[in-house]
Amino acid sequence: MKNRTPKWVLILVGLIAVVWTIPILGIVITSLRPLSEISLGWWRTEELSFTLDAWTKVWSKYPLAQSFWVSVKVSVLATIIPVLLAPAGAYAFQFLKFKGRRVLLIIIINAFVLPNQLVVIPLFRLWREVGLIDNIWAVIIPSAGLSFAWAVFLVKNYLEDFPKELIEAATVDGCGPIARFFHVVLPNSLTPIAAVAILQFLWTWNGLLLPVVFLRSEITLTALLARIQGVYDRNWDQVSVAAIVTTVVPLIIFIIFQRYFTAGASTHTGSKE
Amino acid sequence: MTSNTLNNSNPDTKSLGGSNQKGSGPTKGAAASKWVWNDTTAAWILLTPLLIFFAISVIYPLFETVRLSFYDIRGVAKPVWAGFANYQKLFSDANFLNAMKATFQWTIASTLISVGIGWALALMCSLAPSQTLVFRVMIFAAYGVAEAVSGFMWVGIYRPDAGLLNSILNGIGLSSWAQPWLGDVNTALWAIIVAYVWTQVGLPLMTCFASIQAVPRNLHEAAFIDGASPIKTLWHIVMPLSLPGVRVAIFINLLASLKAFDLIFVLTGGGPIRSTETIGYFMYRESMQNFKLGYGAASTVILLLAVLLVSIPVIVKRTGDAK
Repeated sequence: MKNRTPKWVLILVGLIAVVWTIPILGIVITSLRPLSEISLGWWRTEELSFTLDAWTKVWSKYPLAQSFWVSVKVSVLATIIPVLLAPAGAYAFQFLKFKGRRVLLIIIINAFVLPNQLVVIPLFRLWREVGLIDNIWAVIIPSAGLSFAWAVFLVKNYLEDFPKELIEAATVDGCGPIARFFHVVLPNSLTPIAAVAILQFLWTWNGLLLPVVFLRSEITLTALLARIQGVYDRNWDQVSVAAIVTTVVPLIIFIIFQRYFTAGASTHTGSKE
Repeated sequence: MTSNTLNNSNPDTKSLGGSNQKGSGPTKGAAASKWVWNDTTAAWILLTPLLIFFAISVIYPLFETVRLSFYDIRGVAKPVWAGFANYQKLFSDANFLNAMKATFQWTIASTLISVGIGWALALMCSLAPSQTLVFRVMIFAAYGVAEAVSGFMWVGIYRPDAGLLNSILNGIGLSSWAQPWLGDVNTALWAIIVAYVWTQVGLPLMTCFASIQAVPRNLHEAAFIDGASPIKTLWHIVMPLSLPGVRVAIFINLLASLKAFDLIFVLTGGGPIRSTETIGYFMYRESMQNFKLGYGAASTVILLLAVLLVSIPVIVKRTGDAK
C-alpha cells in the first residue's frame, strides 16, 4: 500500500487545510499588528510591524479576565456534574434490573434531539421566580441537564462491552450493586468518561444561547465577545485578542484530545449499524 | 424480572458455571453476610440526582413550552389563555414564514455542503492516513472554535470596506462582484451558511474517516492483489463501507443546523430586515427582545416538531434496539 497515493491528493487536501486556517490566522495576525496598519486588512504588507499593544490594552478596556473566570466556572461545574452522574446512570441502565428501566432509558437518550431553545422560555420564567437570573447556576443546570442524553448513551455504549466476568466476580465477593459500580465499573470506564468531560467542557465553553439569555452582569467569554461586536466597536485588534482568549482554551483541549471525538463518533456508528 | 429485585443477584451470575448450580447459592451467602441494597434501590439511588437535573432542564421545559404556547404572555403580566391564537398568528406572520424558509434552506444547504465536503476530504485522507493527519487536525480545529468567535472571524472576511473577500475580488479584477455580503438581503443568508459550513466540515470529516478506518485492512489488500488502483478501491470498497459515518454526520448536522442560533446572533443579528432569522433565532427575538413569551414558545413548538420529524426514524430504530 505504500507510496501509491497520488501526489495530487496530498496537495489538494493540504491546500484546503491551509485555506481552512485563514480565518484563524486572520485574527491572530490582526491581534499582533497596530490598528493603523490593518484598518485596510490584516494581510496588507505595505507597512509591517508587530506589537503586543492590543494584548496589554484589552484587559482594561473589556472585563476579559472576569469573563474568562466566569467561563471557567461555568464550564468546569457543568462538566463535573455529568462526569459524576452520567456513569452512575449508564451503569444502572446497563447492569441493574429495575422497573421502568427501558422506558426511562428511551426517554433520556432520545432527549438529545431536543433543541437548546426549548429550555429558554420556561427556565427564564422559573429563574426569574427563584432569583437565578444573572447567576451562573442558571446556565450550569440546563447545560448539565441537557448533556445527560448523549453522556449516558456514550458511557452505556462503552459498558455494553464491559467484561461481565469482572462484575460477576465482584458479586460473588459480596459486592452490592453500588459497590460494584464504585469499585469495578467506575475505575475501568475512564475512557468514555474522559470523552464526556471533554465534549461537555467544549460545548459549554463555546455555548452562546444560554449565557446570553440568563446572564447579565458577569457573562461568559462568548457572550462578552458577542456583546463587544454588538456595539459596533471596531477595535479590530483588541476584539481579536478577546476572540483568541475565548478560543485558546477549548482549541488546545480540542486538538490534544480530538481522538476522543473520533472514538465517540465510531461508537455512535457501531451502535446503530 | 421481579425475582431479581428480591436479592442483589444479577441474572448473569446464574451463568457462572457448574459449581454454582441452580440459583445463586454463594452469592446469597455472601450477600447475607453484609447488608446490601437490591438492584431497584441501588438503581434509584444512582439515578435520582441525574433525574433531578434532567427533569428541571428537559421534562419541565418540554411541557411548560407546550403549555405556554397556548397563552398570551406580555412581559411579567399574568398569562391569558389564548387557545391556538399564537399558532394562527405565527402562520400569518411574514417574519415567521420567512424564518421557516430560512431554517429549511439553512438546514438542507449546510448539511449537504458540509457532509459532502467532509466526506470527500475523508476519502482523500484515507489514501494517506498518516501524511494527512496534520491537515485533518487543521480542518477539524474549526469545529472547536466557538461560533461566537468564528462569527467575528467571518465579519473580518465579509465586511464591505476592507473585508478579505472583497479585497480578493478587487485584486483579481472582479470588483463588480464585491458587495456588502452580510448587509444584502440576497447574500446574507448564504454568507452565514458558508461561515457555518466552515465550522461544521470537521465533524463529517472525522466520522467518515473513522468509519473508513474501520474498513478491514484485508479488504484493501484483496483489492490490491486483484490489481485495483487506489481510486478504484476507494470508489468500490471504501465509499460504500464509509456510509455509517456519513449517516451519523448527516443526522448530527441536520439536528445542529435546525437549532442554529449562535452564528446568526453574532454575524447579522437576524438582519438585514429579519431575512436571516431562523426559527431558533425568531424565538429568541420574540420572547427575549419583544417579551412575547407565549408567541416565542409557539415558535419553539414548531421547531420541536421539525426536529422530531428529522429524528423520529432514528428514535424508532434506536428504541427498537434498546434492550
